Amino acid sequence: MRILSLLLALAFTVSFGHAQTADEIINKYLTATGGVEKWQKLEGIKMSAKVNQGGMDIPLDIFNLKDGRQMTVVTFQGKSIKQGVYDGTTLWSTNFMTMKAEKSDAETTENFKTALGDFPDPFLNYSAKGYKVELVGKETVEGTETFKIKLTKKPVLVEGKSEENVSFYFFDAEEFIPIMVESEIKVGPAKGQISQITMSDYQEVNGLFFPFSLGQGVKGMGSQPITMTKIELNPQVDSKEFVFTEEK
Amino acid sequence: MNQLYRFLYLALLLPAFLPAQDATTRGKELFGDLRARQIGPAIMSGRISDIELHPSNPKVIYVGTAGGGVWKSNDGGARFNSVFDNHCQSIGAVAVDPSAPDNVVWVGTGETWTRNSVSFGDGIYRTGDGGLNWTKMGLEKSERIASIIVNPKNANEVYVGVLGALWSDSEERGVYKTSDGGKTWSKILYVNATTGCADMVMDPSNPSILYASFWEFRRTAWSFNSGGNNSALYKSIDGGKTWNKIHNGFPNGKLGRMGIAIAASNPKILYTVIESEQDKDKGLYRSDDAGASWKQLNNDFGIVVRPFYFSRITVDPRNPEVIAKGGLSGSISRDGGKTFRNLGAMHSDIHDIVFSINDSERMFVGTDGGVYRSWNGGTTMEIVANLPVSQYYHVSVDNQEPYNIYGGLQDNNTWYGPSSSPGGIEARDWHLIGVGDGFRALPHPTKRIVYSEMQGAENVWRTDLEKNKIRVIQPLPVIGDPKLRWNWNPPMATSALRPDRLYMGSQFLHKSDDMGDTWVKISPDLTTNNPSKTSQGNSGGLSTDNSGAENHCTIFTIAESPLDEKVIWVGTDDGNVQVTQDAGKTWKNVNTNLPGLPAGTWCYHIEASSFNKGTAYAVFEGHSHGDMQPYAYKTTNFGATWTSVLTPEVEGVARNIQEDFVNPNLLFLGTEFGLYISMNGGKSWYKFTNNMPAVAVYYLEIQRKTNDLVMGTHGRGVIILDDISPLRQITDEVLAKDLHFFKNRPAIMYEESSFGGTAGEMEFVGPNPSRAGQIVYYLKKRHSLGKFTMEIQNAAGQKVHEITPGKSKGINIVEWGYAGKVPKIAKGQTISREGATPAPIPAGKYKIVVQKGTETYTHDWDISYDPKSAITLEDRKLKEATVQKVFDMTQSLAYLVYELDETINGAKQLMSKNTGLSSTLTPMLAEYNKLKETLVVTTGDNYVSAGEPQLREDLASLFSNLASGLYKPSANELANLKRLEAEFNAAKVELQKLKGKHAAKLNELLVQNQLAAIAIKPFEEFLKLP
Repeated sequence: MRILSLLLALAFTVSFGHAQTADEIINKYLTATGGVEKWQKLEGIKMSAKVNQGGMDIPLDIFNLKDGRQMTVVTFQGKSIKQGVYDGTTLWSTNFMTMKAEKSDAETTENFKTALGDFPDPFLNYSAKGYKVELVGKETVEGTETFKIKLTKKPVLVEGKSEENVSFYFFDAEEFIPIMVESEIKVGPAKGQISQITMSDYQEVNGLFFPFSLGQGVKGMGSQPITMTKIELNPQVDSKEFVFTEEK
Repeated sequence: MNQLYRFLYLALLLPAFLPAQDATTRGKELFGDLRARQIGPAIMSGRISDIELHPSNPKVIYVGTAGGGVWKSNDGGARFNSVFDNHCQSIGAVAVDPSAPDNVVWVGTGETWTRNSVSFGDGIYRTGDGGLNWTKMGLEKSERIASIIVNPKNANEVYVGVLGALWSDSEERGVYKTSDGGKTWSKILYVNATTGCADMVMDPSNPSILYASFWEFRRTAWSFNSGGNNSALYKSIDGGKTWNKIHNGFPNGKLGRMGIAIAASNPKILYTVIESEQDKDKGLYRSDDAGASWKQLNNDFGIVVRPFYFSRITVDPRNPEVIAKGGLSGSISRDGGKTFRNLGAMHSDIHDIVFSINDSERMFVGTDGGVYRSWNGGTTMEIVANLPVSQYYHVSVDNQEPYNIYGGLQDNNTWYGPSSSPGGIEARDWHLIGVGDGFRALPHPTKRIVYSEMQGAENVWRTDLEKNKIRVIQPLPVIGDPKLRWNWNPPMATSALRPDRLYMGSQFLHKSDDMGDTWVKISPDLTTNNPSKTSQGNSGGLSTDNSGAENHCTIFTIAESPLDEKVIWVGTDDGNVQVTQDAGKTWKNVNTNLPGLPAGTWCYHIEASSFNKGTAYAVFEGHSHGDMQPYAYKTTNFGATWTSVLTPEVEGVARNIQEDFVNPNLLFLGTEFGLYISMNGGKSWYKFTNNMPAVAVYYLEIQRKTNDLVMGTHGRGVIILDDISPLRQITDEVLAKDLHFFKNRPAIMYEESSFGGTAGEMEFVGPNPSRAGQIVYYLKKRHSLGKFTMEIQNAAGQKVHEITPGKSKGINIVEWGYAGKVPKIAKGQTISREGATPAPIPAGKYKIVVQKGTETYTHDWDISYDPKSAITLEDRKLKEATVQKVFDMTQSLAYLVYELDETINGAKQLMSKNTGLSSTLTPMLAEYNKLKETLVVTTGDNYVSAGEPQLREDLASLFSNLASGLYKPSANELANLKRLEAEFNAAKVELQKLKGKHAAKLNELLVQNQLAAIAIKPFEEFLKLP
């Protein structure tokens, strides 16, 4: 009879498996990558990365702070060019022609402010942020079985109209880490096409796990790899670096 | 107890009995980065079946197509994106839910414009997120959905008009209703198994009032019948519970297809277009009393033409007197239907017309050749140039570089265009080589000559592409011949062994050995020649439709063995498979030993094997008998026996099979729902879905130089799977390895002009194949955790480049553009674009080194120069040496400027700390700055305010020209280099002079003022600075 019950258990495991809910998957993910407590304590991240453009490795330093400030610094021919900088009020970038700071358009800034609080991960306390999650189903992505989770954040403005802000995260069904994020491109010439970001090479940094290799592209086309060379937690950074300075 | 054991036994076996995985999932797990390339063209676009507007946002438009899925515009019809790739691409109706128009859209599959080549659907789908994800909501056997209406007051209530099966009886037709958002459906109006719902509208002011037209119709491969006593127009006033015929004022007798439309601005006004027995009774009818009575208004040609193909009526939502009707040209009336004029010039065959929600002058029209926009109420029309929904019947390829793709399209002529073009493959790259409906087109195997044809071989053309000359060459009947019966899509074939040979098939096989100038019949009638299937002149039903589309008992496929010209295979549309082994002296019908194949099934394609002259593959297609099963067989003994090469995992009727010419076990199969690949001779199949929509694949061809699989699809144009060679190497042994490198195409550093194309952003541009070097490998498991790096080493084992590897389970393709190092360039005020040019790498032996966790994998990689290069090896040495020289100069200059900057910065720092030193330091700084100003741009921006170019810019410009140049350095370039060397040397001397004059003093003052002396890093360290 013992054998029978073992067989019975086995039969059920093999044929029916264990149904997952979106919350279970997200909890497993947050636990697997360091735990909710550690993620909550995080104050900031500095990612040093490189992208290859026509044979040339271009270094990037990407800062993300808990209070929403962020900055990407591109170094090219010895010059620092800042992109996507937010100082708490203004979202700005360096213009490539004049090398001077210019504000982002009002809608982009407003949408950016709506998304404040994503740090360090949109799934962390997602409910308190007013986000919704839904397990859409299973899908094979990058040759691998994944759970497809729909994340609905606060609505964004698109050409003046409020639209749902939806992205789909594909969690590796074995490892419970996201390996791809898909979302519809809402502005610009690629509007209506699907943006894809792939993640791999998850590695530990002081107890937290980060993907050290990203691929960014549009579905059906190629993808641009971004490789992390170093990730620093709670980095020291001069507040002045973020500040938008108006031309006098 | 027995019961329990039995249950356990079954439970344990369950996983084994279930297919381990479906063909789609297995494909997704294997094919990885192998990605189809959709090259269009969009210049002729394809048939549009339905256009649907968002009810409140004029920028959102949905387009349903005959074979290319659903496309959505978010920008008022400027551009469209495909949103339905994973599902059946034949679309009957699209409906936007008025209560949630941003998110909820319904799609009914199966086009309802029932021409001979119409496809079929597999049910109804719903999206809840504006088209990102779709769920099938049932009605799987509906085949054709004509209308979907969502109750504007209750989104759970949806009415669906199902036209249903075209080629067979079916009970899944009529009007269906769901009250639970599509979970369950009830059939609320059914007439009989031959009569379906052709059109349906709802009263916009009262969702309980519905009008539905029913149509009795049937097609066979040899006939079409429109009309019967069961066709009728019905009305319901109770949400579909009860229905009544509303025929008061209708003609007597049989009725055919009827369209129905309601005026949104006055729902009492209805229009219907009636097909009936007498020509005088046909045409447009109007009711002003909500269907209680009808009056005939007009039976002009534009209104009554081909009702099965055109019956859509659209009423201007703001004006009940303005109506438009689909037709050969499309018609518009501004007097309530009394008189019409044609719409503006556009592709003929108009299937749907819509008025924009806020402005009736803005119209969108769906034709056999794409969507057209009008800004002036239909007077002038402009094509949407980015809808690549073209419907190929056939494709072939030549051997040019890049190779060309030839093929004919449904109502859209015959074209050829390149597989690659500067900047991408755009409209200007496609050339006409035939008119009418286009079908087969075959390039001469060795000459720049192409054969093409129109429907029923009314014309077959031989075009000399070099001289731009045409000759009409179809076989003509001679004394003693019966009437030649040509299929709508007549077969032609060339010979691999006799370049000037051409075959064509009527009921006879015709052969020409002089490119079509003279013909001989080399067979008797090879068909069943069944008189009951050869009277297509009477086809059409209430409206005669003698287009030739129903010609039957004809030869449909011809294949000469590439190994023996005497072995010729012929397949007929009425089920014969004929083979001769003596060049046509004797023929044998070998259609008897085909297990599981219903007799008379259309033989769609025969593929003569490249490996054995007795071996062939035959594909049969039975949808015109209502049989939706795929059939493909292989014989190895000239057809004496056949075995099926398909497995139950293959979905959709099959039309073509392609045997690889290197690995006989590698087979490609085109079905109604996409591409399948087998690597074991048909024992199992993988569905290929990477950037490959579930589109009907009509024809497959392999280009032998590039190993590209070229697909002619009936709805998404030409789709190419570049370089299938990795698939030849897939074995169980390979699949068992953690990582396996494939041998792939030679790595060639192409040397070509870099000028691009001319297309604007609203024109479709097909992507080019990658010209980068490709590293192709298989991974057994997706790499997610830990480090995984890849580098390219030269023969000496030095790292040339670090590259990001792919991590997918399955096949990964990593590309490298052969870019060598980029010189470190001097820092200036401006950015130097030319300074970002990489040095070229030499051809030779390279090695790929992969570090995955603790495992190392290596792969040798040969990289060669372009065989068509304009430069000799000797000159290349000079080029490489010159490039290296300028590379070194560029970096030396960068170092020199760095030293200058450090000195200038030190002096400035000192001056700000001790202002008293100003009189000493200011002239010193001026001297250093004066030197610097000759070396780099020190003022302005990166655009037109930039300062004059200096030595850095001149060097970068020369470096860029030399490094990316395709010739040996010119005398002028070398002379220019001499000049720059002289300038640079003078600068070096000047710096030494300044240092001699000032350095000691400056350092002394720095130290005196508690500042660090100027410290210049060694050159190697300087190079590592960001």
